[in-house]
Formats: sequence, C-alpha cells, structure tokens
Amino acid sequence: NSSSQLSSLPLQILFYVNGIYYILYFLATLAMIVYKSQVFSYPDDFLAPDLAVLFVMAMLEVPRLYLGCKGNLREEEAALGLSLGLTVGSVVLSVYLLAWQTYVLWADVVLTAVLLCAYGLESGLKVMAIAAFVS
Amino acid sequence: PADARGAAQARATCSPAPVTDVARLCVCDLLVAQCDVNCCCDPDCSPGEFSLFTACSVPVVIGDSHLCRQKAAVYSLDVEANPPERIFQLIDQVNPSIFCIRATNYKQALYLKTPEMPTPENFDGLLDEFGSAAFSAEPESWNVDTDPPDANETQRYEYGLPIQTEDAFLRLPSPVVSSWCSDANPAGFLVNQATKCIRSVSVEKCESIQALNMLFYINSSILAFVFQVKISVQSIVFQSLDGMRTSLRGADGLRLPLILEELCLNVVLGVSYQITYTDTGEIIEAAAAFVLGAITKETLSVQQSFQISFTQVDTKPVPLSGSPGYVVGLPVRAGFSTQGYPFPAQSLTNNHSQLSILQSTPSQDCLAAQGARAPVLFGQNMISGCKLRITAAMKCQPLAQTLLDVLKGQSFPEYVASFGNSQAQDVLDWVPITHLHISEQRISNTLQSSCQIPVSFGIEVKWTKYGSLVNPQARIVNVTATLTTTTLKQLPSGRERTIPITSSVVFTDISSPAEPGYKAWPTINIKLPFDFFYPFV
Repeated sequence: NSSSQLSSLPLQILFYVNGIYYILYFLATLAMIVYKSQVFSYPDDFLAPDLAVLFVMAMLEVPRLYLGCKGNLREEEAALGLSLGLTVGSVVLSVYLLAWQTYVLWADVVLTAVLLCAYGLESGLKVMAIAAFVS
Repeated sequence: PADARGAAQARATCSPAPVTDVARLCVCDLLVAQCDVNCCCDPDCSPGEFSLFTACSVPVVIGDSHLCRQKAAVYSLDVEANPPERIFQLIDQVNPSIFCIRATNYKQALYLKTPEMPTPENFDGLLDEFGSAAFSAEPESWNVDTDPPDANETQRYEYGLPIQTEDAFLRLPSPVVSSWCSDANPAGFLVNQATKCIRSVSVEKCESIQALNMLFYINSSILAFVFQVKISVQSIVFQSLDGMRTSLRGADGLRLPLILEELCLNVVLGVSYQITYTDTGEIIEAAAAFVLGAITKETLSVQQSFQISFTQVDTKPVPLSGSPGYVVGLPVRAGFSTQGYPFPAQSLTNNHSQLSILQSTPSQDCLAAQGARAPVLFGQNMISGCKLRITAAMKCQPLAQTLLDVLKGQSFPEYVASFGNSQAQDVLDWVPITHLHISEQRISNTLQSSCQIPVSFGIEVKWTKYGSLVNPQARIVNVTATLTTTTLKQLPSGRERTIPITSSVVFTDISSPAEPGYKAWPTINIKLPFDFFYPFV
C-alpha cells in the first residue's frame, strides 16, 4: 500500500548508510588523532577539546539515528523534528572537526566533507518527510 | 644604576623575531658580510662567486614537509652555462600524501616556541619552575634529606651531597658570575674542586674580615652523622710579599691575622682541604693546609685559591695521567728506581719526582731563580730560559754545578712512565731517560781541557699512537735529555757577559702509519659425510 505510506524510503536508506559510515568515520578520525599526537607536537590542552568533540558527536549520533528511524517508520513528526535538531548539533561539531581542529589533515577534510554532505541530504529529506506527515 | 637596568630590560624583552620567509632563510650563511663557499642562498655572494661553486650545499629551503601546500625556495647551479650561474626559483611544493596538514589552528605547531624572557616580574616564577638546589638563592632552603631519616637506614654521604658542618655546610668560596668570592658554595662529597676567586681587603679591616682568618675555615667541625670530625691544620705555608713560599715545619697552630706596622700578616691566601672517607661513605678525617700571606696598605684585593680533595682511607692515591694512554695536558709521570739498574725487582717511587722544566721568572736571572719549576705536561712543547750574568770573579766549576741544578732541578728522574697509568711495579712499562751530552768546544781551546758550563737542556719525548685505530692511546717510547755545554771564556776583570740559558721540552709523534687489521677470513670447511661412498667404502 505505497500510496498511503508516508515514510520516506530514501531517508531510511540514508539512515542505514549513515550509521555504517559514521562508525568508520569515528574510528578513522580517532586513529588520525592518535597519529597526529605521535608525529606532531600536540599538547594536552589542545588534544582534549578535539577528543571531546569527537566523543560528543558519537554520543549524539546514536539518539539522532534512533529517533530518526523511529520517527520515519512510525510517521511521527515529533521524533523526526528532534532528530533534525540533533542533526544541527552534529553539523556544528563536524564543522569544528573540519575547520577548527588543531591539525586538519587532507584525509580529515575528505571524510568530514562526505559526512556533511550526508547530513545535508538527510536534513533535506527529513524536512520533506515532516512536511508530508504534518499535511 | 636604574638606566642601565632599564636598557637591559628593553634588550631582554625584544628577542629577534624568527624568520619564516623561505626566500630569505639561509642555513649555510654563517659568515657575516662574506660569501660562504657552496652556499647558493647566501645574499653576500656575487654572481662571480657563484660561478666558482661546485654544488649547492642547501638545495631546497622549505618549511615543514608535512604541509599540503607551501612555498619552497629551490637553489641550483646551472653548470652548462658559461660561466656557471645560480638559479633561484620560488615554487609551490605540493605534498601528495593524504595525511598532509591542510591547516593548523595551533600557532606553535610548526615553529619552535619562543622562550620566555626572564624579567624582574616573572623571575621568581621561573625560578620556582626551573630552579633546583643549585640555583637557590637562600642557603637555608638547601635540603640534604627531605624525608625524615629512617632509624634503621644507616646514614651516609653520597656523591655530590653538600658536606654538613655544625653551622650550615663546608664552604669552598668560589667565584659566582664575576671573579669575586662568594662564600655560599658548598663542597660536595667526593667532588674534587679547585676554585680561585678575588676578595677585597684592606689593612685596617683585615682582622675583622672573617674570610681572611684561619678560624673561618676550620672552626665548625664536619658532621659525619655518627660523630663530629674536627678539621685539623695539616700544614701552613707562608708566602712572602714577593711570592716566595716557605713552609714552616711543625707549624700547625692557629695563626690569626695581625696588623704589624703597615702590613697585615697571616692572611689566608689559600686553603686545601683533604678529606678521608671510608668505603661506606663516612668521613673519618679532615685536614686543611693553609697558605698564609701578608698584605700591604696598597693591596685592594687578594686572590684566594681553594681546593678540596677526597681520599679513601688506607689508600694512597696516585694521580693518573691517562688511562691507558697519556692525555694531552696531564703531567708526564716519572720516577726513580730504588735498586740499581738492571735488576728486575725494581720499584719506582713517584714521590715529588715529576718531570719538570725550568720555569722562566720575571727577573730572568738564572742565579736568582729559586727552584721555580713547571711540570712537563704531555703533548705541550715548552721552552723556558733565563739569563746568566757572568763576571770575571765567577769560578767555572761551582757555576757549572749551579747551572746544572737550575736546568735539571733538584731531583731529575731516571724513568718515565710509558702509559698514563703505569704502575710502579711494572718495570717494563717505564722508559729510561737517555742522556746526551753535546759540548760546543771552540777549536782554539781543544788542547786545553777547560771546564764546560751547561747552556741548554732539551728533553725530547718521542711518543707513538698505540692500540686500536679508532681509539689510539698515546704511549711514550723514548725520552732523550740533551745537555749542551760550552766553554767558559775567562773574562778580563771588570767585564761581564750575559749568556742565555734555555731549557725546552719537545714532543714528537713517531707513530708508524696504522694498518687496519681484518678479522680472519672465514674458512670454508667442507667435509664429506663419512658414509658418502657407502657401498664401496
């Protein structure tokens, strides 16, 4: 009964892909921070904020994806709206990792840019889904 | 003065800014305003000088190679052109690695940190952070043992610990920053030190200046944890105003400074501490040898010299001049044989018999030179001399004997150690001194056997490099002492003549060229198994 189904399939696919990609992104960024701390001069008061941002982003990602999946499947706009709000937070944190990190490597730029594209696409699809559910 | 301090402060806070422009950075430019050889980035070089270079010692000047994109200054020599010219290019260097740094938000990431300049405001903070006991300004804060001593643990001195006395520490005044004496330098256990410093004096106050008083140095006894060790006076040497030293036998009493007419006598000019310790780190004996002198009204400052040396109990230390080869600058060890040569069971004593050479005095008068001798230091050629004034009244024979004493010294040794650490009982390690006698005789006087006076004494020490190619040790092979004598012409009465007397030491390296030794070539050991030809053998 696809005509009465309001849940967005592309959004669901994107959530799934985002989840896997985020795990890889988290591990890669953590490994690169470890590499940077060994090769470059990385004093503790610069290392701490970078690691904190990465872990906060990881902690935000789990409820964000969960709420998004739940909201999309149950066609609840509240959960989806909350997920959108958390996405804004994740975008800010990934912009930090892209531009304001202590050392920004070329690999960092590539990975974070892909993540930001995914977030952007997700946000667009979420807005469309909320519009579909509300109306 | 306040303005000098202000100027110094201004100078201290403005350290030169680091140069980060690769086009202006040149590592090989070491000579100021001169062209450095093969330095293609040197701004002081002209195109003519560039044409003489063979290669560029610094081909690329670049910042951190981890950056993704940066400017690089490339220097190269175009040898094809006539004349060869230097090519300078400023290119954009791209790092293709995916782990290259695109941006940093940490300013000091790629540059060395500018050190904090000490100013009167932050000095105390920096001293707390980086200072240790050595830089502490307050002697009271020196802590030998910060933890309360354990009752079961035996206390003992360890290397470098300041030696404690009843009041504070055993002081060895030494120059700090300038040459003026500072009394706050503690003597460290087992740290042999020798210091010289200047103290300002005046005859009027010489009795009140503590540091000129013998008591200041021996008053407080050394705390050896179990008992107290009194510092005894070992010997006293008196130094006269013209520098002549006499040691008074049996003078081990206390002599305090006293003002006599316009002189102040018994002023401490030097202290030499001799501390005896056991192998468990306890001090059992302490002795001090003093040099006392006199100061006049005009003397504004005296130089005091202090020395401390540690000897283990029941051992007699013999200073080595190298281990095993001689070290340049250390005295050549020499000695006598107690039994007649060439008996094999010989023992060589080193007491006061050092190879020494006449030391030139300012007065340059041979007969007035009262035995001032300089030790012969390995590897250092020396020449010295004096002038002999001959009058008609001088008799030749006693004069010859006096000159021989002046040139050779009181006890000229017979053997020289071939290695810096040769032991007295190893007879074969000692080289006998060969004596040569050259007499300059005038042809007209060959028939007369007139007596000869020595005019020149030269010691030639031949040494060789011994041992491995990478760490050659100096070994003395041959010592030849050449005495040159000349006939003394009788002078008409009333006339006098001056002849120079010279004494020299020359070190000659007679090492044969080294042959590198190879390890034995590996041999091929092929043997057939014993049952190789089984059915037939």
